[in-house]
Amino acid sequence: MGTSETAASFTEGFVEADGFRIRYMEAGQGTPLIHLHGAGGPRLTRGHYLLSQHYRVIAFEMPGFGQSPENTRTATMADLAATMAAAVTAMRIDRFNLLGTSFGGKVALWLAAQQRERVLGLVLEAPAAIRPAGTESPSGTPEEIARRLYAHPEKLGPLPIADPAIQAKTRALVSRLRGPDRDAALEAQMRELATPTLVLFGTLDHVIPPEMGRHYKELLPNCHLVLVYDAGHAISTERPEAFAEVTADFLERHEAFVISRIETVIHP
Amino acid sequence: MKVSYFETGRYVPPPDLPREWPVPPAAYDPATGAEAFRGMVERVRFVEQLGFDWISVSEHHYSPRILTPSPVVSAAWLAARVPTIKIALLGPIVPTSNPIRIAEELAMLDTLAPGRIVVGLLRGTTNEYLSYDLNPAEARERTDEGMELILKAWTEPQPFGWQGRYFQYRTVSIWPRPQQPPPPTYVLGTSAEAGAFAARKHCGLGVSYGNFESMGQATAYYRQQCAQYGWTPGPDDIIYRANMILGETDDAADEALRRRDKQAPFPVRAALRDALLQADTTRNIAGEKRPANVGGVLPISFCGGPDRVVEQIRRCRETMGAGVLDLSLQDPGAGDTDAMMDGLELFARKVLPRIRDI
Repeated sequence: MGTSETAASFTEGFVEADGFRIRYMEAGQGTPLIHLHGAGGPRLTRGHYLLSQHYRVIAFEMPGFGQSPENTRTATMADLAATMAAAVTAMRIDRFNLLGTSFGGKVALWLAAQQRERVLGLVLEAPAAIRPAGTESPSGTPEEIARRLYAHPEKLGPLPIADPAIQAKTRALVSRLRGPDRDAALEAQMRELATPTLVLFGTLDHVIPPEMGRHYKELLPNCHLVLVYDAGHAISTERPEAFAEVTADFLERHEAFVISRIETVIHP
Repeated sequence: MKVSYFETGRYVPPPDLPREWPVPPAAYDPATGAEAFRGMVERVRFVEQLGFDWISVSEHHYSPRILTPSPVVSAAWLAARVPTIKIALLGPIVPTSNPIRIAEELAMLDTLAPGRIVVGLLRGTTNEYLSYDLNPAEARERTDEGMELILKAWTEPQPFGWQGRYFQYRTVSIWPRPQQPPPPTYVLGTSAEAGAFAARKHCGLGVSYGNFESMGQATAYYRQQCAQYGWTPGPDDIIYRANMILGETDDAADEALRRRDKQAPFPVRAALRDALLQADTTRNIAGEKRPANVGGVLPISFCGGPDRVVEQIRRCRETMGAGVLDLSLQDPGAGDTDAMMDGLELFARKVLPRIRDI
């Protein structure tokens, strides 16, 4: 299954929420799985497709990212989280699973803290909510950005050319919202957040060091940390099967996902 | 009656140690760990001098309760530093291991310390399956096949292939082989499967912690199976691992029992425990279904002053037929090693001489 098949399985929709017209891509049946993308904007991966075999995947384009108009109104991550929660409500979804990637991981944490009863399970893919001091977002030429995002950019083939206008618009928004590298207000919320949470880091993440994962374990009372071998920051692009399997298994079983169900019979 | 001391690598934990399994590695103190392993040698030398017949080591993971993830490493270290006592590995967890590796390492040990190694082959408690990601539904069958393969690797004189259900090898041909004959080997467990396997392979049986009557069911089933295979196990063929609280008087022991921590050390979370219980459904005693034990408090089988304990050991022998007692005189994970040493010394002085002829 290539990117084209992934794209073909998703359909586009729009929802009005909090004064924004918000685009989303949707595929699959079952319990909703809301995805909040990273600072580079929405991008469907094979990981989304694989998850749509188990869940009703709704990948939002957050206001100000991707094709949406410039967003000068949202002031904080908590505001953005509230907007996205309103978008979920506008889709008549009550309870849901939540997946946040990188920058979207921080939004997802805020959203889960604001909507504790509604978020069934939380998966954070290479979250950027806790960063080493002075962490910079990937920037530069497409090749330079790819070397930050991926462990093995050479295996991925030609990368999409980013639109400079979108990049400029997004960069301003991300700079305004990303907050401090250690966000005391969010971390106070995290200490009280009982939502079952899975934190994923690639072992070759060149944007957020995977060592940041331990802070989530320390702060979140119900957190599991899984390292995805040989993946960079964009785990669901580089190791989509590994990403989707552990994500779906965790969302289905929460902490019981540590009990292996792998069958190892060679010859019956 | 023979006696064995169960050495658990006594890591003396600070009071603020996290109590949930798995315990975060950040809480580990290297100096305390080093002290625990220095103490292992001291304790084993001590029980050797006291006249114990064996010491035993086990395999547990991800907490300081029993600080010995590799019984082979424990056994090699102790065999090199303590001159004569037998060392029982009770035991390597077979379903999570490469059986050929187990066969090779045990053969090495048996060659390094000829006549001193005792082997127990173990299915393992349910929570241990989380350590190496074993599917609980496969544990029984992987254990049976793994044990069969280990015994075959020790005894088959020609290179052979193994076309198993769970293991496949095109060539097995281990060096060194164990000394002749192979080390005394026990199957550890109460299940009908364990009893039948041990009987078929002329192995001993090791049971643990349950009360005399229920463990007696397991050993009776084993003996009955042995009879079907045309042999009769002796007392040395049955090990009973148990906790003992020994006091100078019955009252002192009863008081220690009252003070004992009622909570299991380092339990898994309740939701995970329940999920494990649901996943591990094949546990039984001689074919009679029973739930798995996931982090429950292990019972005290022997408690009293010397006279009462001697009587309890007599009853244990009569009920279960066990000829080897593998004892803990303090709960693993409890920090009071001085009290344990006192208990061992008291046991050697007041109990051991009186149970030799039981």
